[in-house]
Amino acid sequence: MALVELRGVSKSFRKGGETIQPLDNVDLEIEAGEFISLMGPSGTGKSTLLNLVSGIDRPDSGAIFVDGTEITRLSRSQLADWRAANLGYIFQTHNLIPVLTAYENVELPTLLLKLSSAQRRQRVELALEAVGLSDRAHHYPRQLSGGQEQRVGIARAIVAHPKVVVADEPTGSLDAATSEQVQILLQRLNRELDITLLMVTHDSEVAKIASRQLLLDRGRFIDRQAEAARC
Amino acid sequence: MLTYVLKTLWRHSTRTLLTVVGSAVAMFVFCMVGAVQEGLDRLASGLDADRNLIVFQENRFCPTTSRLPEDYARVIREVPGVSDVMPIQVWTNNCRASLDIVVFNGAHPEQIRNSRPIRLLAGDWNEFATQRDAAIVGKNLAKRRGLAVGDQFSIGELSVKVAGIFESRVPSEENLIYTNLAFLQLTRGQAGAGLVTQHEVALTPEADADRVAAEIDARLRAKSVATKTRRKGAFQASTLSDLVDLIGFAHWLGYACVGLVLSLVATTTVMSVQDRFKEYAVLQTIGVRPGRTMRLVLLESLLLCLVGGSCGTVVALTLLALGGFAIGAEGATIAFEPSFRLGVTGLLVSAMLGIVAGLAPAWQVSSLSIVSALRQP
Repeated sequence: MALVELRGVSKSFRKGGETIQPLDNVDLEIEAGEFISLMGPSGTGKSTLLNLVSGIDRPDSGAIFVDGTEITRLSRSQLADWRAANLGYIFQTHNLIPVLTAYENVELPTLLLKLSSAQRRQRVELALEAVGLSDRAHHYPRQLSGGQEQRVGIARAIVAHPKVVVADEPTGSLDAATSEQVQILLQRLNRELDITLLMVTHDSEVAKIASRQLLLDRGRFIDRQAEAARC
Repeated sequence: MLTYVLKTLWRHSTRTLLTVVGSAVAMFVFCMVGAVQEGLDRLASGLDADRNLIVFQENRFCPTTSRLPEDYARVIREVPGVSDVMPIQVWTNNCRASLDIVVFNGAHPEQIRNSRPIRLLAGDWNEFATQRDAAIVGKNLAKRRGLAVGDQFSIGELSVKVAGIFESRVPSEENLIYTNLAFLQLTRGQAGAGLVTQHEVALTPEADADRVAAEIDARLRAKSVATKTRRKGAFQASTLSDLVDLIGFAHWLGYACVGLVLSLVATTTVMSVQDRFKEYAVLQTIGVRPGRTMRLVLLESLLLCLVGGSCGTVVALTLLALGGFAIGAEGATIAFEPSFRLGVTGLLVSAMLGIVAGLAPAWQVSSLSIVSALRQP
């Protein structure tokens, strides 16, 4: 069974008086250890799909399974517990808590798990080391560059050893050089730590770092590599 | 998570400090009003409020106008249910309501020693008992007027030598000055000889206070001056009736302070939370339960209220302990004392207000749509 499985997922919402249905009976399977990039024009439902897989939004119909758990059946509190243990989320705008240091930001998800303080400290230090920011642990977000903030965001997403990490335009607000650093980091995390990654991006160059590139078009997935191979 | 709450509060330090100061001032007023109310309650239900009677001249209210023969004590002593009678001459510098009222009670020193729940903190009882112009001063009045043993204290036509400072189990008594009866009787010349302002009657344990009071008035009706006898608590409440009304009004001031703290902290918490919807959405995205975000907001408002309320309460209790405040009228005084109950009430009210003030924003946070909140700029 795939690690993440979407079966007949539909989602619609109202915008400006009309109903938009970006996802209509969508199926998707993501294997453990895969790195998938998801592209598509604006409004095709890439972020909506990411939110559904993260359990921060609910589909109108269909089911989503992650590692055998049907998350669409969980209550709000159960979903929160599930996210704490199984999901890492990398935001486009970093979304670090400004009053907390880099260390404290990364530590947040571990506070929700049953870990001793020594285990917690070890995990936070390892996560910061993995993103190359051990020397910035006690800096506040305002004292970090955009790229460093994003790396702290990535450390926060992986510190709880989640089964899946989702990334919503992780390089969207970074300059080219910093974007490249983050791309390399994401590839490393996928290859070296075997983290399953689902990344939404507008940038086709960034999409290429993934092992599988999907295009979401009119509610349908197109495997870009398979298409390219056919052509 | 406590670190997060504390750092969040400190993020807008000016706003937080202003809210804490506002809560502190409001709880300070709340406690001061509470102390006045407690003082009044003590007068009406204190140690001797129901077991002692006051015999006063009928239709007289100010101590300067009540003149009863001292030897009424002999008649009163014969009434069944009476265990002792203490003739008291009262002198006050002000018959109207005042925050710095000075009340002298003149009585026989031995009777004072035997019947009043007082203990000398400094000075010599024998000096008081043997010297005609000697006086013992309640500790609150001594503190307020800066009096010490050996001082000569003069007010109006009275001048006494401080022979002792006393404390009492009845707080209002700590605002009195006791002198020898004869000394106070003759303050206004020989005409005062043999006359007293009132008789204080101690009852036997089984006596019915109201029946004894009626019996005393009945026995003295045929004498030269008619009397009105009441329980001591009722007598004091009646003497201070104008103040009682005022204190009743001040009680509303206390409630207003509670409302003030509530609206102040609620406003601050709502503002703080609305600025941070996105932050709470991020917390929920990483796995913080909605209920836990609710508790974080409640903790924030609780801390604001509790820190401010505790400061206000502690300052009020300290001031009450050091100031020796009292308000009085017509020879009766209400002492404003700090009390354990007042402190606990101040803290509990602060905590309760903190929780109530945080309920609405906490509910907003726990029920927010994560996706919508994450879209906020």
